[in-house]
Amino acid sequence: MRREHKEYRSKARIYADILNSILRHGGKSGPTRILYGANLSYDRLMKHLRQLIDLGLVQEEKEGNEVIFKLTDKGRTFVLEFVKVEKFAEAFGITI
Amino acid sequence: MELASSVISFIVGYYALKAYKTTGAKGLLLLYLGFLILGIGTFLRFVTATYFGIILRAFPTIEHRLTGLVNLAALIYMLTQLIAYGLFTATYVLQATSTSSRTAEAGAVAAAAVPIVRLFVIPQLELIAITLLGFITVYTFTNWLLKRGSGAALVFLGFGLMLLSHMFFLLIIIEELSLTFLVLGQVTQLAGFLCLLTMLARVSKTNA
Repeated sequence: MRREHKEYRSKARIYADILNSILRHGGKSGPTRILYGANLSYDRLMKHLRQLIDLGLVQEEKEGNEVIFKLTDKGRTFVLEFVKVEKFAEAFGITI
Repeated sequence: MELASSVISFIVGYYALKAYKTTGAKGLLLLYLGFLILGIGTFLRFVTATYFGIILRAFPTIEHRLTGLVNLAALIYMLTQLIAYGLFTATYVLQATSTSSRTAEAGAVAAAAVPIVRLFVIPQLELIAITLLGFITVYTFTNWLLKRGSGAALVFLGFGLMLLSHMFFLLIIIEELSLTFLVLGQVTQLAGFLCLLTMLARVSKTNA
């Protein structure tokens, strides 16, 4: 039987993927778009989005009937910092 | 030169700590601890070698009395280096273990007096340092082959030059060429740290 290798993603990596997905959509996005961008199930995405809101990295807003998630300044700083940290770790051969 | 190496080590260590706080990756914590201990060891060597040099210049007749102290300083210096290289090795062993189970992807003063220079070398411990750095250099070389990035190349060059510096430090035991090998060792060591500093400068300029 062939063993499938599922790539492990750390919590920081998942946060970065979610925030990057929002950033790619102009800094604000609905859950469906983020879901595809971050490659997560709806339940897991909502759980992580709650944590990101608590951390002050994302803000929840209402636009008509739709709930959207907006990147805060702290969130943008995190994305920028994560890119640098990723390059640093990659140079040393450390997976994050 | 050693003061500069020590400062660079602290800077790289600080960045590793920052990276650890952002990601929580254990490898980055080990890297931070390794560079912190390496920086402390190199700084202690700079301070003790300078201190012994000044004392010997002022009182050349007391050289034999300093031997014990110099030996102790050398032992502390070598031990801090070995702990640091051990931590780097642990980083990569940990990384190699987790990588294989997850993705199956392939995977460390100019001499005031020459006698003091030689006393600062403990051949057995230098050999251990060379072995550990050899492992680290091979790992970072493999990482460079896989990533092909300039950052990975600079880290490989950095550790490779540190390995070369320890080979030069080991050769200090050859009496006639002690000073030459000391200077070569310090220059290559500083060059290694400068590679890491260059990598850090490039990473800091990265934009999202």
